[in-house]
Amino acid sequence: MSKPKKNSVKSQSGDPFTRWLVIGMVTLVVVVGAGFSLLSENKAKDAAFTALDTFQSLGTLPATVDPAEGDGIVFNAGLPIKIDIFEDFQCPVCKLFEDPIGGYLTSLVTEKKAQVTYHPLSFLGNGSKDDESIAASNAAYCAVDEDKFLDFHKALYDVQSQVENSGFLSSENLITIGKKIGITSSTFADCVTNRSKLVNVVAATESMDRYGVRGTPTTLINGKVWERQSPGFDLNEFKAAVEAAAK
Amino acid sequence: MKNFLIAKQEWITTAFRIGFGGFLLYAGGLKAFDPAASANATAAYKILPTDLAHFAGYILPWFEVALAIFLILGIFIRPAAIASALLMLMFIGAIASVWARGMLIDCGCLGGGGAIDPSQATEARIAYAVDIARDFAFVGMCLYIFKYPYGKFSLEKKPETTNHTSEDQE
Repeated sequence: MSKPKKNSVKSQSGDPFTRWLVIGMVTLVVVVGAGFSLLSENKAKDAAFTALDTFQSLGTLPATVDPAEGDGIVFNAGLPIKIDIFEDFQCPVCKLFEDPIGGYLTSLVTEKKAQVTYHPLSFLGNGSKDDESIAASNAAYCAVDEDKFLDFHKALYDVQSQVENSGFLSSENLITIGKKIGITSSTFADCVTNRSKLVNVVAATESMDRYGVRGTPTTLINGKVWERQSPGFDLNEFKAAVEAAAK
Repeated sequence: MKNFLIAKQEWITTAFRIGFGGFLLYAGGLKAFDPAASANATAAYKILPTDLAHFAGYILPWFEVALAIFLILGIFIRPAAIASALLMLMFIGAIASVWARGMLIDCGCLGGGGAIDPSQATEARIAYAVDIARDFAFVGMCLYIFKYPYGKFSLEKKPETTNHTSEDQE
């Protein structure tokens, strides 16, 4: 096939230079595009920490880790309205939940209107020794000891990398996130580095079966899964569901 | 059937080039402009180490776009066709691999991707089958384009219509 064809292609397509020029141009455009895609991740990482420059702390807010609640992190234990939040700090949809609704949940905690239990799960990691979901969940439990869980929780979403398991949630970066929002103690840093709360992390993830939770984010209001009607997470819809439960 | 495939070859090649190329451009474009989602989608297959999977996720959509442009313009046709066929075979292998390992993910073929809820297990398996069937159809189209690269609306023209046309194409 080769010889006669090659000749004829040359003669018919006329100008081989033009042909290669077109091929070259397409390739160039595409390579530049791919380059921008690769750079986008690094840029996002650099931008992440600056998101914390204007962080507003809630101050200290004590919570308890309750073994009866699958090692969930409980605020206002015993109040009649009970809300359970199941999340993985790497889960992008959890950020979509947190951004509109997190502030309202915080107000329920600070105004003592509901018992709010956070279950930081860790099933989105890559299972390596640097598993980032485990690292983040562990660090969140460390923040409970500092009475700063809600601050740290919000900060994790403020800096969330768009790419899961990108290496962003390293011990070092988690400690930096803590420092940026005022958790400066060395016990916190040691707790993060040594994965001191691994027992809680494992217990929280294992409790998924007990609660029948299959994915994140899942929200229970008085033990019942909140089934949202709107495609996104709508604050008013969520508020209405909580207020209905209060009646 | 065989006669039809040969008699209408120019039009069939053109239809495959534009049809498959158009799909590839659409699929690649969706992913190329959402690089983070694409990186997540490739990592969700858990075939490559995470870092490599992310890298592949950033690069592959652009590779698809390049192949699509070549096929649609009708230039560099044969290499593009064979590369596309290999790419589709790779996707088939990857989807078959997650299916065999009992994982539940969105293939991320048209953007999106990542793990999906176990309550959608049946839908996910149907989607695997459909995606694999579709990709096999694409492989068929690519092989046809490779065998008969010249058609209508193509920058590369069929070599002069001489008596030994068939010889050129074999």
